[in-house]
Amino acid sequence: MELGQMQGRLAEYTRSLYMEGILDAQFLQLQQLQDESNPDFVVEVVSLFFEDSEKLLNDIARALDQQSVDFKRVDAHVHQLKGSSASVGAQRVKDACVAFRNCCEEQNVEGCLRCLQQVKQEHYLVKNKLETLFRLEQQIVAAGGSVPMAEMTF
Amino acid sequence: MEYLHSDVAVHTQQREKLQHFHVLAVDDSLIERKLLERLLRESSCKVTCVDSGDKALEYLGLLDSQEIDRSTASSSSPQSSTQEGLKAVNLIMTDYSMPGMSGYDLLKRVKGSLWKDIPVVVMSSENVPSRISMCMEEGAEEFLLKPVQLSDLKKQLQPHLLKLPVHPKIDITTSNDNGNDSMIIDITMNNNQNVVVSKRKTMTPEPLERRPQMKGLAVI
Repeated sequence: MELGQMQGRLAEYTRSLYMEGILDAQFLQLQQLQDESNPDFVVEVVSLFFEDSEKLLNDIARALDQQSVDFKRVDAHVHQLKGSSASVGAQRVKDACVAFRNCCEEQNVEGCLRCLQQVKQEHYLVKNKLETLFRLEQQIVAAGGSVPMAEMTF
Repeated sequence: MEYLHSDVAVHTQQREKLQHFHVLAVDDSLIERKLLERLLRESSCKVTCVDSGDKALEYLGLLDSQEIDRSTASSSSPQSSTQEGLKAVNLIMTDYSMPGMSGYDLLKRVKGSLWKDIPVVVMSSENVPSRISMCMEEGAEEFLLKPVQLSDLKKQLQPHLLKLPVHPKIDITTSNDNGNDSMIIDITMNNNQNVVVSKRKTMTPEPLERRPQMKGLAVI
């Protein structure tokens, strides 16, 4: 595939992620903060996010597995995850966290377990999508091209 | 790299001023610290990041142990200048919800200290009006909703950079000569459609401004 085609494919793929609500304007902000002096900014932030979020998801699962569930603790973890997902632009993860916090308030273990599943699903989805995105970018760079800046109006 | 409208208006001189503008950023989240650091460096500021209120107090020399050591030292306000080997800080930006000492607690400690004139901006991912007014009443300069946008920061930094005494001709003051600080409360929307409440002083007495002032100064 020639360079122009690859760049077109990347632009279309990125666009679809925004259209499907998987990413929001905050991700665009991250992309705009990437430049020659910070060439890997997006990948660095996103990697930090996935390291952090995987730990949080495990902590949440463990907390829900206790005999007597500490909902405040679960809520604190979800709050953290909500914040970091908002900061990287992982919109659907963030929204799933908002719903999760409602379940925590109701102190309903079953509800919380369902919410956790939902968050994990969205988390898995955005992880895969971003891995694909970064792979497409790498292919373009390897072919000697530059990655086009996604321009969106919101 | 796309440029925002405000970038067009930022002159080289202003950028140079900001290079001496030192922000202390406080957040327990590594991701937030990384983001904030990038945003601030993008705005040409110097940044120091710490991960807790306690570390912030330590940096400012305000931990109880440090304060006792200085009890015999002069009580002049450090403002934005260096004080006895402590690093100069022009602005503190702190997250609200942190384990241990919250951003609000940190705000209170700073406002009750020799650093009380340093503006403190509080950030939160939650839009809680009572929380916002509590912080503003305690003397916060501004309350920003996360995720913080580059445009929020540029708007936040603008008045500070106008106040920095680098070139007398660029010092813009109003004709209010009575030396009182009056507050303007701005309520605006940022790009996230979030409410940003900020307080502006119309006049702050600073050493440089004791020289005779000219009204209607031209900006170069």
